[in-house]
Parts: sequence; structure tokens; C-alpha cells
Amino acid sequence: MRRPRALERSDREAAQDAAHAEREIVIKVHGLENKFGDQIIHHDLDLEVRRGEIIGIVGGSGTGKSVLMRSIIGLQTPLAGEIEVFGKRMDQLDAEQSKDLRRHWGVLFQDGALFGALTVTENVEVPLREFFKFEPSFLAEIAGYKIAMVGLPAIAGPKYPSELSGGMRKRAGLARALVLDPRILFLDEPTAGLDPISAAAFDELIKNLRDTLGLTVFLITHDLDTLHAICDRVAVLADGHVLKVGTIAELMDFDHPWVQEYFRGPRGRAATAGVTPVKESV
Amino acid sequence: MRHDCGVTGATFTDSGGTLALGGRWTVAHIGELEPQLRALNGSVKTIDMSGVERIDTVGAWLIHRLIRDGGAKVTGASSEASRLIDSVGKSDQPVERHPFRGSVFVHRLEMTGHAVVSQLHVLGNFLAFLGKTMVVLFQTIFERRSLRLNSVVHQMDVVGVHALGIVGLLSFLVGIVLAQQGAVQLRQFGAEVFVVNLIGRSTVRELGILLTAIMVAGRSSSAFAAQIGSMKLNEEIDAMHTIGLSSFEVLVLPRVIATGLMMILLGFYGSMMAILGGGLFCWASLDMPPVTFVTRLQEVILFSDFWIGLFKAPIFGVIIAVTGCFQGMQVTGNAESVGQRTTAAVVQSIFLVIVLDAFFAVFFTALGFV
Repeated sequence: MRRPRALERSDREAAQDAAHAEREIVIKVHGLENKFGDQIIHHDLDLEVRRGEIIGIVGGSGTGKSVLMRSIIGLQTPLAGEIEVFGKRMDQLDAEQSKDLRRHWGVLFQDGALFGALTVTENVEVPLREFFKFEPSFLAEIAGYKIAMVGLPAIAGPKYPSELSGGMRKRAGLARALVLDPRILFLDEPTAGLDPISAAAFDELIKNLRDTLGLTVFLITHDLDTLHAICDRVAVLADGHVLKVGTIAELMDFDHPWVQEYFRGPRGRAATAGVTPVKESV
Repeated sequence: MRHDCGVTGATFTDSGGTLALGGRWTVAHIGELEPQLRALNGSVKTIDMSGVERIDTVGAWLIHRLIRDGGAKVTGASSEASRLIDSVGKSDQPVERHPFRGSVFVHRLEMTGHAVVSQLHVLGNFLAFLGKTMVVLFQTIFERRSLRLNSVVHQMDVVGVHALGIVGLLSFLVGIVLAQQGAVQLRQFGAEVFVVNLIGRSTVRELGILLTAIMVAGRSSSAFAAQIGSMKLNEEIDAMHTIGLSSFEVLVLPRVIATGLMMILLGFYGSMMAILGGGLFCWASLDMPPVTFVTRLQEVILFSDFWIGLFKAPIFGVIIAVTGCFQGMQVTGNAESVGQRTTAAVVQSIFLVIVLDAFFAVFFTALGFV
């Protein structure tokens, strides 16, 4: 059985050097519709995510950023529209194919969503145990280097999630998301609630992981510093669809009141100037 | 010796210290060959990676392990593979799966000590909580604090009115069972008519109240613990305190008052339903007409039985509500704690109700209410 080209990684380096437009598309959303009761969340939403890029998703509260992510990863069944991941239509997969596809993406939820009854090491091992039958010692080795890769010390391994700080929980969640060596990483507000130093370190971590592991990163964020620091392209969600996708420089010249307010408001200016704005403490 | 995994999978061929790799060295393919690779650890001197089609961190980790343990040299690696091997090499960090516990014996001993101390703490906290509730109750009675009447009425509806169906059905059925089993035994002495004494006295004084209390403990004590517990997790209790609201006044007292009051009514209602069940059984099965049944009932039930039953009911209600609220307030950390505390609320409130009932039985008998 040959895997489709989208699943291949061998020519990744060439693709990384190539211009954005030449990269293949790993996520394609076309005509997405979502409604909660009478409230329209998405109407005719189109989005394409290219391989190896970090795409930032921004938008005001309630514009359906998280719903978009949940639709792509199959936690939410859209009313209408097509979602293709690695060239496969999500709604046409059977249970087996769907499970197989899930192996190729990792998701980091807002607060890590670690299983509270398991230690960090056990949490990281869960996906491996689910998909493969490895020796316990090998599982521990894999968990060990994944935990180190996300910058957690070894002493965090045998701890329970309730004993960790928010930043450490996010890192542990990231280790679990990365354990199957996914191609796509979905991050839901990874730096929310972190202090500026931890947030900057997390940005750096994601960029490094993208560069070493060749990940495609789908990043929902409100953090202007994150957008400036690591995103290759940014998609702006408003009025139920994607208003504009482009680099931050392109978006700053885009004539829309919300986009202008977002990137040229006081915080946007501070982030553009490379000055760390004072973050609200939570 | 050649090892491979499936048709499209990873392969490695071992020829006297040189390992030639091929195929996909990714988690899905090479993972199965891990034990064979482990066996080669230390004997491999050269690794030829030119045949590798694809590699991920798990493949890189296995190669890193050969390099680390046997000092193997890598040839023919793509820049991507070198980067991955380098990256996992930097992250080589063994972790423990579980917290260190020491020897089993010491661990058991520590657990036992911990359990004893924490139980004593819980007991102390519970008494403090009960005391605080009583203080707030009396302050409210003497109008030094306001009573949340809306909240009390709402809780009365939830605790009392909504429980009518299940409490009624349960008591009714127990009444029938009591009459039927009693009749079988008493028939041996030709004393079937004493079934009325059995039903009348046992339900009004003991069973009606106790069954209702157990039912209310199962329904409402758990609900209180879960409600207050999730509010605690959500920092709503802390928010109340910062606004200047007392959680005792807002949450605990309305539940305690409502449960205490509704236990009186539900207990009485439960007893009546049990008598109704027993009466119907006597009518249908023992041919005792309802008029006879009621007349006998009036003769055998002492007024003291009735008052003892109604005296116990509100005390049970208060204990149930206080236990539920107390356990809810003890929730810390995560959702699992809510589950544990809810279970503890039900178990402890039923336990306390039965212990108190036993105490009252001895107490009132000693006082001469036989």
C-alpha cells in the first residue's frame, strides 16, 4: 500500500526552501458552514494550510477560531463544506482510516488537557500504547526524550498534572501531542495565561520543533508577540469567514477596520516595534 | 542477518558489525523491531543509512541508542536524519513513570499513618463546619443575618417535591414486603392480625423515616457535594468571599434548612405510604377490610412513636445536608476530586444517619418510650 504523496516527508527540505506558493497543501477547508442554534459561526469559510508553515489564526472572541480547529480535527461535524487533510476528505473516511489519520496530527488544548489520573510520563505514553505494542522500557525511553524535547526536566515525569504549573502542563500536553511524530500540530492559544518569559520560551520551542521535526503548525492565538515571532502567515477570521490570509506586513496594509485596529492598535504597535507590551496578569 | 517489518516497512541487515538500514524508520514501522535492535546494542560499529527512505524521531532515537551504547559511526545519513539524531541526542533524558515510593513496607506504613492523620483532620474540620453552620443558623433565627428565602424554597422544591415519587414508591413497596413477610411468620402462631402492629409501629417510628433519610442522602447529599464542589473548582466560592458574601449564608444554610424541613414532610409521607402499602396487602391478601386496619392502627400506634419519628427526621435532614455541603467544600484540584467527594458525601451521610438512628433507638428506649 503506497501512502499518498502528502504523507511523504523525504522531499521536505526542498519544500522548505521553496517559496510558500509552491508548497503542497496539507489542510484544505472549502465552503465550511457551522451554526449553533440561530447563531452563524462560519459561512462559506475557505482556508488552505501549506506544508511546513506556522499559520496563525486570529479573530475577535466568538469568531469561531476554536470551532474551526474542532471542525478540522473532527470533534465538530460541520453543517456543510469540505475539509481535506493530506488530500483526504474527512467526511469520507471510515473508522479505521480516520483513526489512522489521527495518528498524523497532534493537538494541544488550552490547558494541556492532560489525564488527571496519570503521571506526565504515562500521559505521554498513552498514544503509543493505543497504537503500538512496545516494550515498557522502550515506551519510557520515547517518553523520556519527548519530555526533554519540550523542555521539561526529568523530575516532571513521575508527577501528576495537578502538581505542575500552567506552563509545565502545556509543555507536557505538547509532549503528548508530539509523541507519535505528527505532521501537523494544532495549538489552541498555547501562550495564554503564561508569563511573558515562559510565553517567549514557548514560542521559541514551537519554532525549533517546526524546524527540527518539519511540522506544520496550526496556531490559534491572541498573542501579538507570538504572531510576530513565529508565524509565517496569519489568517484573520471575521464575519464567519477568513477575511484575509497573509504575512503580517501584508495584513497591516489590508484595509479593514478590525484588522487595522488589531495590528495598528497600541498593543499591535508595541509588538511591531519589537517592544514587549505589558501583559495583563491573570 | 536481515530483519524487516512488513512489505513497506523498515529493514536492517547486520553483517559483522556493520548495520545497513533501509525503508521507513518511523514509529509505525521500526518500533516493532526495537527488541532485535536492542540485542545488537554494543556490537554495531558502523551504520549505513543510505537506504533509509524516511525517518522520524523514534527511528532517530534507535540510531542514537546504537551510537551512545556502542560508539557506532553513521554513514550516508541525509541532513534531515543527522539533524533528528542530533536533536534526540540532546534530549536523551531517562524519566521515571511513577513517583519514588521507597520500600513497600515503609510505603504501606506511611499510607496508614497518612490515612489516620487525614481522617482525624476530616473529623475536626467536619465538627468545625457543623459548628459554623449552627452559629450561622442561630444568627439567622435571631435575625442577625438575612435568610435567602428564594434559595430555601428552591432547595425545598429540589430536595422535597422532586423526591416525592421515588420516596413514595420505595416506602409503599417496603410496606408491602413488611406486611407479607410478617404475615408469613405470624401465621405460624395464628396471630396474623398483629401484622398491623408490625407495620404501624415499625414504619412510623423507624423504617419510614430511615428509608426516606437514606433516599434523601443518596439524592441530595451527592447533589450538594457535586454542586458546591464544582463551584469550588471554578473559584466561585472564592469570588463570593471577595464580594463579601458568606458561603455559609448563601449555599450551606438554605440547603440545611430546606433538607431539615423537607425531611419532616417526606418522612411523614414515607411512613404513610408504607402503611398504605401494608394496608392494601392486608386487604387483598389477608381479607382485612380497610376499616378494621385503620381502627387497629389507631389502637396500636402510640403517639410517642409518631413524635419520636418526627423528632428524628429533621436531625437526619440537617446531618445529610451538612455532610453534603462539607464534602463539597473539601474539593480541591481536579474533577476526580469532585467524584471522590460526592461518593464520600453519600457514604458518610448514610453512615451517620444509621449511627444516629441506632443511638436514638437506645436512647428513647432507655427513657421509657418502648
